[in-house]
Amino acid sequence: MLENISLIKEVNFDMSIKDAHILANEFLDKIGLSYIGRFRINQCELSEIFFVLLIRALMTKERLVIIKLPYRLLYTLADIKNICQKIEILNNNKDILILDTFNNKINYKETICNIIE
Amino acid sequence: MIIKFIENIGNMTIVMLYAIYEALKFTLLCLIHLVNPNSYNSAMRMVLVKQIYFTAVTILPVFIAMATLFGSIIIGAVIMVATKYSLQNEIGSIIITFVIDEFAPFFTAFLIALRSGTAVNTEIAVMNVNKELNTLREYNIDLINYLFLPRIISGVLSVTFLALLFALIMLGSGYIFTMFYMHMDWHSYKYLLSSAIEVEDLVVLLLKSISFGFVIMLIPIYSGLKTAHSNTAIPISVLNGMVKLFIAIFFIEVLSLVLRLI
Repeated sequence: MLENISLIKEVNFDMSIKDAHILANEFLDKIGLSYIGRFRINQCELSEIFFVLLIRALMTKERLVIIKLPYRLLYTLADIKNICQKIEILNNNKDILILDTFNNKINYKETICNIIE
Repeated sequence: MIIKFIENIGNMTIVMLYAIYEALKFTLLCLIHLVNPNSYNSAMRMVLVKQIYFTAVTILPVFIAMATLFGSIIIGAVIMVATKYSLQNEIGSIIITFVIDEFAPFFTAFLIALRSGTAVNTEIAVMNVNKELNTLREYNIDLINYLFLPRIISGVLSVTFLALLFALIMLGSGYIFTMFYMHMDWHSYKYLLSSAIEVEDLVVLLLKSISFGFVIMLIPIYSGLKTAHSNTAIPISVLNGMVKLFIAIFFIEVLSLVLRLI
């Protein structure tokens, strides 16, 4: 997973492998997932894969990160509050937009998300 | 009926020419990236190192065993035939031509094609079907630089290095057979080979190994890229890729023979 995340910085920002790995590990460590650094995708849980995808998106130079239908990816997820908290911890300077269906609106009520219908 | 037949021929010709054009365009693109210094970033270099390890290093025990076994038997047979037909005076050039110009690069190419060519074809096909290639494109990661170039370079380096190793093992086996069959000592054998070998032989070995290494990786990559988006298309892609690869290997072999005869 570490390589998966660090690749963006190595290729698009010409960062050395060592520095990119350190940065990727820092991001994983922020949400207590540094142990998945050496894991392959089949060893990871859905939520861990979700955060790897998110961190990878945060590594790009794009200002806006769009998370499309998180409940479709995290189909076993009961509460998105925890996910939103971790997204807030990870995010440094990007705008994060979560696109979801009206049916899931209730799940976002107690989160820090600014809900726009 | 005849018009339909002619239309079909025309259609097939257009499809075939377009496929050749696409393949040549891809080859040219890879060659342009190969000579562009900007292609070589840290991630690419890491993939290259890993690829060389998987293509050339992990195969070494099996490769050395096969080279010793098959190489010894074949070189033994060649020496026995040469002795039988009283060609002892030509044994040096026979060994050099057979081992360095022909057998070592050809056999190495076959082994690497069977082992790494199939692996690369499957890998790229699976990545294509799972849309991993699309993800890499979305992240502005150049597929040629990151995925294809390391494999092509590792193919070229591995086949060249292993062909040289194969030739050395066969020449070593050749000494054992000449010692038993012709009672030749080490110095005489060494003199025989050094007087028979020419720069042209080494150039042929290098050019053939480079060409083999290039197609052994390029054709499976291209075949993997052309896989339709379903799991059932993966074995078909590998099958087609391997058939094309073996045709290409034979084509290079025949072309090298023809060029040397001219």
